[in-house]
Amino acid sequence: MFIAFYHVPFNKRISMTNIENQIFSSYQRNPELYDEIYDKNGKIKEVYQKLFKLYGEHSIIDYVSLNNKAKSSFFNQGITFQVYGDNNVQEKIFPFDLFPRIIDPVDWDIIERGSIQRSKALNLFLWDIYHDKKILKDKVVPIDLITSSANYLDQMNGVNPPGGIYNHISGTDVIKHKDGKYYVLEDNIRCPSGVSYVICNRTALKKALFGVFNHYQTHTVTNYAENLLELLESVKPKGVDIPNVVVITPGMYNSAFYEHSYLAKTMGVELVEGRDLFVENDFVYMKTIKGPERVDVIYRRIDDQFIDPLEFNPDSVLGVPGLFAAYKKGNVTLANAPGTGVADDKAVYTYMPKIIKYYLDEEPILNNVHTYHCSRPDELQYVLDHIHELVIKPVDEAGGYGISIGNKLTKAEIEKVKAEVKANPRKYVAQPIMSLSVHPTYIDDTESFEQRHVDLRTFTVLGKDKEFVLKGGLTRVALKRGNLIVNSSQGGGSKDTWVLKK
Amino acid sequence: MPREFEITYNAENVYDDWVHDAHWQFLIIPVENESQYEVEIEFENSLFAHTEESINGFGFKTLRIHPKKKFKKITFEAKFKFKKEEVDPYNFYINPDISIAYNEMQSLDFKITHERYLKFTSFTTLDSEQKGLFKFNNSISIFDNLEALNHWVFEYIKFTTGVTEVGTPLKDVIFEKKGVCQDFAHLFAALARINGVPTRYVSGYLDQESGYMGDSQMHAWVEAFVPGIGWKGFDPTNNILANTNHIKVCHGKDYNDCAPLKGIIHSHGKHKTVHSVSVESQQ
Repeated sequence: MFIAFYHVPFNKRISMTNIENQIFSSYQRNPELYDEIYDKNGKIKEVYQKLFKLYGEHSIIDYVSLNNKAKSSFFNQGITFQVYGDNNVQEKIFPFDLFPRIIDPVDWDIIERGSIQRSKALNLFLWDIYHDKKILKDKVVPIDLITSSANYLDQMNGVNPPGGIYNHISGTDVIKHKDGKYYVLEDNIRCPSGVSYVICNRTALKKALFGVFNHYQTHTVTNYAENLLELLESVKPKGVDIPNVVVITPGMYNSAFYEHSYLAKTMGVELVEGRDLFVENDFVYMKTIKGPERVDVIYRRIDDQFIDPLEFNPDSVLGVPGLFAAYKKGNVTLANAPGTGVADDKAVYTYMPKIIKYYLDEEPILNNVHTYHCSRPDELQYVLDHIHELVIKPVDEAGGYGISIGNKLTKAEIEKVKAEVKANPRKYVAQPIMSLSVHPTYIDDTESFEQRHVDLRTFTVLGKDKEFVLKGGLTRVALKRGNLIVNSSQGGGSKDTWVLKK
Repeated sequence: MPREFEITYNAENVYDDWVHDAHWQFLIIPVENESQYEVEIEFENSLFAHTEESINGFGFKTLRIHPKKKFKKITFEAKFKFKKEEVDPYNFYINPDISIAYNEMQSLDFKITHERYLKFTSFTTLDSEQKGLFKFNNSISIFDNLEALNHWVFEYIKFTTGVTEVGTPLKDVIFEKKGVCQDFAHLFAALARINGVPTRYVSGYLDQESGYMGDSQMHAWVEAFVPGIGWKGFDPTNNILANTNHIKVCHGKDYNDCAPLKGIIHSHGKHKTVHSVSVESQQ
């Protein structure tokens, strides 16, 4: 853990109130972009007016010092992550911006209902493709979505997960396009992370700016852990009265270790690694100083291939030998269920409107971005001809790795991407470049507010006959000017997100 | 009258350094089906570690052990006694209108139902120029084509031990034209799947009394799904259909689903493993 001291020059600590230094005096608005705080006519939106007024009483210098304090509190709490692929691995804080994003109840209602709708449809899809496969037989989605997906687990065929739930926890990445509508960019239903940042952002913001926060009636986000625990307990194995829940982590070197420990702590359950568990006669036990203790529900933050070296990747040292056999026998619940990853393949994403219609007989509440499948020859040709205006994504990578944004590529880079796509068409999909909405964000280098692109990851939890959406979610900010990729692993930051009660 | 079989499986693992933590999972128990039944299991190990029976992800019985003390050497001995009915591999009827079966194989429902045994795995992937090595003749039945394929694979690969190992890719086997029963089975499966026939890899034992080829370890063959008939066993290593002498343990997409022994061993240094199998039967 690092402790950082931020140097704030003395003369800057004096609060100044002259109008030039006020907080938005130098904010430049690009009319091409959808700004979250201004309406079409350039007026500040109603929900932001109070905030604007309260912030307006302060100078940018006050803001700088507050922001720095908040940052050091993140370091002090050890809320850090690591970026893979860097030569010098080091802990970084997820840059946090004190200017919150506000979502009014009307917009939130759309987002919440839309997130639940997608999560439920995906759950029904998963049940179907691991049982009767009706959606394939009815030709709604093509068979190769499962035959050529590395995440389809043959071992899950015919398995009934406790409570009928596969994707207990879903992270839905939503953006607002310049047309003012919400679009889903991705459904993350393997091990979506980021929820701990939502809660820490709220804590940091409240500490720094209680006087501002207090003026709004905002939904709490600190109830996530209790809801998660309740819903995990609702999918306990048969015959268990009060289930013993644990969180399993790959360990302290994992980029999301802070979150694993945070969730275990706030749920009041044990945080374990694979070596802390063992399987005997197809039941799972945790080693404790008082002897073995049976485990009934495992919130696992380890990928499918690593959960059990006897069944999947034999080189895995993260998992528990025999765990899958215990799961298949119904003696333990795994959340999310093994094999869930097949449905967050980006090729499946493109069929989401059809999948929602097929299982729920409803129109999608949140829009899908049109997607071109490079595996289809005619669409491949279109993609190759229009790379400069498309985003090219690998279908099976998470965390923003391997994404190419057409209008940011040089000629040579375009040729390179073309060759790669041609060589592995099944591996790629392409989408039009969406214009993510922008939000005023404090930029360190220029010590001023600038427009930056934002998205929103919502967290939906499905249990037996109930569901929960965290009223907040993680607003991620692409900190590099003009950058569209908001993942923390790509150097993004985040904002507290207020969902208003009225 | 059923035949009574007794199979003895021995394995010995020797390590240079102490092993402090180890898990083994054996997939070696004869499966119970219409022709094999009343399977009795005896399993011992030199460390007297507790043996657990479990079921793997594909529904086959496994034996697992996890010794609680350190060791440098461990031996396992399994004995299976069971009864087996005489199998007549030609006891089925082929519809003279062979187009019915071909049409069924083309249907989407068929492809979805048998998706698992139609896809290509790392062990059953062929290069594009190898895909045409064996083409079906649509004027004869699917079964006749499979029998011809069985013969073709038998002729193509020369049974030779020591050339290939567990991880050898199929394209190297095709190049060398030498291999062991796993290689015969993978090549058959790959070419049958290319021609649209769901085919599964089978792991088991072979009663070698009658001079069949295999080795002193476990045997491998395939089962292909023929529409209108069902799963039929083919042993391309011996150019025969699977019969009473083929004692099935399990099936899967390829060797990976059927590995007889999986071990998770935390140790440094080298180790040596020796297996042996003996099959005895009496009327």
